[in-house]
Amino acid sequence: MKIWHSTTFRFAALVFLFQIVAAAVLLLGPALLLRSQNHADAVAVAETLRDDLLDAYADGGTSALAHAVDARASRRIERATVLLLARADGTPVTGDLDRMPPGLAPGAPYALLKFARPGHAAPEAMLLQAVRLRDGSLLVTGTVVESERQVLALLERNAMIALALSVVFAAFAAYVSTRLILNRLRASIATLRDVREGRLSRRVPADDTGDAFALLGSEVNQALDRMAGLNAELKIATDALAHDLKSPLTRMRAALDRAAQAVEDPQAQPYVDQALTESERLMAIVETALSITRAEAGMGRESFAESDLSELLETVAEIYSPLVEDQGRAVVVNAPAALHMRVHRQLLDQALGNLLDNTLKYGAGTITLTAVPDADGAAITVADEGPGIAPERREQALRRFSRLDEARGGWGAGLGLSLVQAVAHLHGGTVELRDAAPGLAVRIRLVEG
Amino acid sequence: MSQKILLVEDDEATAEFIAKGLDEAGFTVDRAANGRDGLFLATDGGYACIVLDRMLPGLDGMAVLAALRGAGLDTPVIILSALGSPEDRIKGLTSGCDDYLVKPFTFAELLARIRLLIRRSAPAAAAETVLRCDDLEMDLLARRVRRGERAIELQPREFRLLEFLLRHADQVVTRTMLLEGVWDYHFDPGTNVVDVHLSRLRKKIDEGEARRLLHTVRGAGYRIGAEP
Repeated sequence: MKIWHSTTFRFAALVFLFQIVAAAVLLLGPALLLRSQNHADAVAVAETLRDDLLDAYADGGTSALAHAVDARASRRIERATVLLLARADGTPVTGDLDRMPPGLAPGAPYALLKFARPGHAAPEAMLLQAVRLRDGSLLVTGTVVESERQVLALLERNAMIALALSVVFAAFAAYVSTRLILNRLRASIATLRDVREGRLSRRVPADDTGDAFALLGSEVNQALDRMAGLNAELKIATDALAHDLKSPLTRMRAALDRAAQAVEDPQAQPYVDQALTESERLMAIVETALSITRAEAGMGRESFAESDLSELLETVAEIYSPLVEDQGRAVVVNAPAALHMRVHRQLLDQALGNLLDNTLKYGAGTITLTAVPDADGAAITVADEGPGIAPERREQALRRFSRLDEARGGWGAGLGLSLVQAVAHLHGGTVELRDAAPGLAVRIRLVEG
Repeated sequence: MSQKILLVEDDEATAEFIAKGLDEAGFTVDRAANGRDGLFLATDGGYACIVLDRMLPGLDGMAVLAALRGAGLDTPVIILSALGSPEDRIKGLTSGCDDYLVKPFTFAELLARIRLLIRRSAPAAAAETVLRCDDLEMDLLARRVRRGERAIELQPREFRLLEFLLRHADQVVTRTMLLEGVWDYHFDPGTNVVDVHLSRLRKKIDEGEARRLLHTVRGAGYRIGAEP
């Protein structure tokens, strides 16, 4: 399963991503905008100042410039501006800085520097530019942006915290929205699972929201109703078939029965007996095929009754033990003192009988019947020490009317294991053919329900 | 006086076959071809047993049965049915019939079951603690079996099998009756499972004896009795 191909995961990821992007734009956008606006304003103030001073220089030369710088610095017209007139070697002439800020290349655009002004304890952030004048002296103009920087840093830190929180919120939103969808689907999924397990009357609860999920639920219900209808027809058809086949078979049996008693010719006797046996076999096949069809369709749950599986195994073992002993083999029951469960007693009898018949025909060695309770039911295993069934042929062995060994004719027309499987399905369980090393182990899972 | 049996069956051939067989077995048979006539005859009473087909024109077998039981008649009833699924069988048995036989059946099976029902409905004898057949004796309390002077060791399953046979001494019991009666096992494996049990039991009881007690009834089942 590739989780990134899962629609649920994609949906959750999408919700998460949109939440994060929206939060990031909302939180970081204003801060970034403010920062760039702030920068532009500071540069504009410094540029105006610089241009004024350069005008003064152009009009009156160095002395006029020095005067202007001095006047502005001492009057502090612009509270947040810094000025410095220095000689070509960097010695200050006048201004509010007591030395050339290091790392300030003349002619470069306004750059952010940390520098301490005289009378200020800590260095402050300022945007500074140095311009070389015609006579070689340097004019430094700039704006102090320390307090704005601090406000912006605070703003950005808060934004980052909020963003970190919004990751949590986005994850929660993604979880809740996928949960919402899954919850809406759950009713349909649970219903379909119940039906698969044989509770055919289950339907998705009515939902009047009219959305896609309600539509899905109603479609599922309609499909199930249709299936139930077909099932009912099937039941009628199989009953009719049973009836139609059985009436002529009854008469045939009756005729053969009387023939067997009337026939005097010892040469004819074996043939009549054979015909009787074959008619019985035919009936058994029809009967078993019908049982499988009914069990697979989930019919027969109304006949479930509390039974002791341990006792059931003991009974089957006892009934078959003379046959088993005649083959020089043994049958062992491995079960708790009592293991009560609601089962279809008669079908389980038949399933176990089929398994015993199979191992008598095809298996070898000790036959072990095991019953083990588990969390929601029990498992019954019939194991022998014979040749087993190769893993690749196990699925075929469970199919109806399939015989692994065509040469060996049997009573059940290859229906034995299919019946076992149908019975397991009726009990909400499964059949597993395993390697008993050596031998075949047939494990029937029964689910209490 | 021969016992009277009511046969309610709409299929002419089946009815003919059963009636003829019962007649030969010494019963007097009244026949009805539909549920209404069947119910009318049945309420008249005097029948030892009623053989009732489940699928009948008009009033079906289960309705006839319900009406009979509703009227307080407790004549034993065997339902004959082509519906062989366990549900139908259980539905039948819980709705007041005494036995349920799925078509097709051998006549011997039907006869054995009819005799069993008639005998069962007779006043019950005091609880027996010793079962006997000729010189074979089974002590149910001491769980001992003797034939004449010879003590017979039986396994528990053989003991129960012999007990069932002795309780139905001189009657034919079929293989399915044995599976149901001894083990409460409702599936005929179709193999010779029961025959093997019986041949082992026979070895212990009859081997070396002048008279054989355990007889195989061809095409039907088994019978224990002094009569050959």
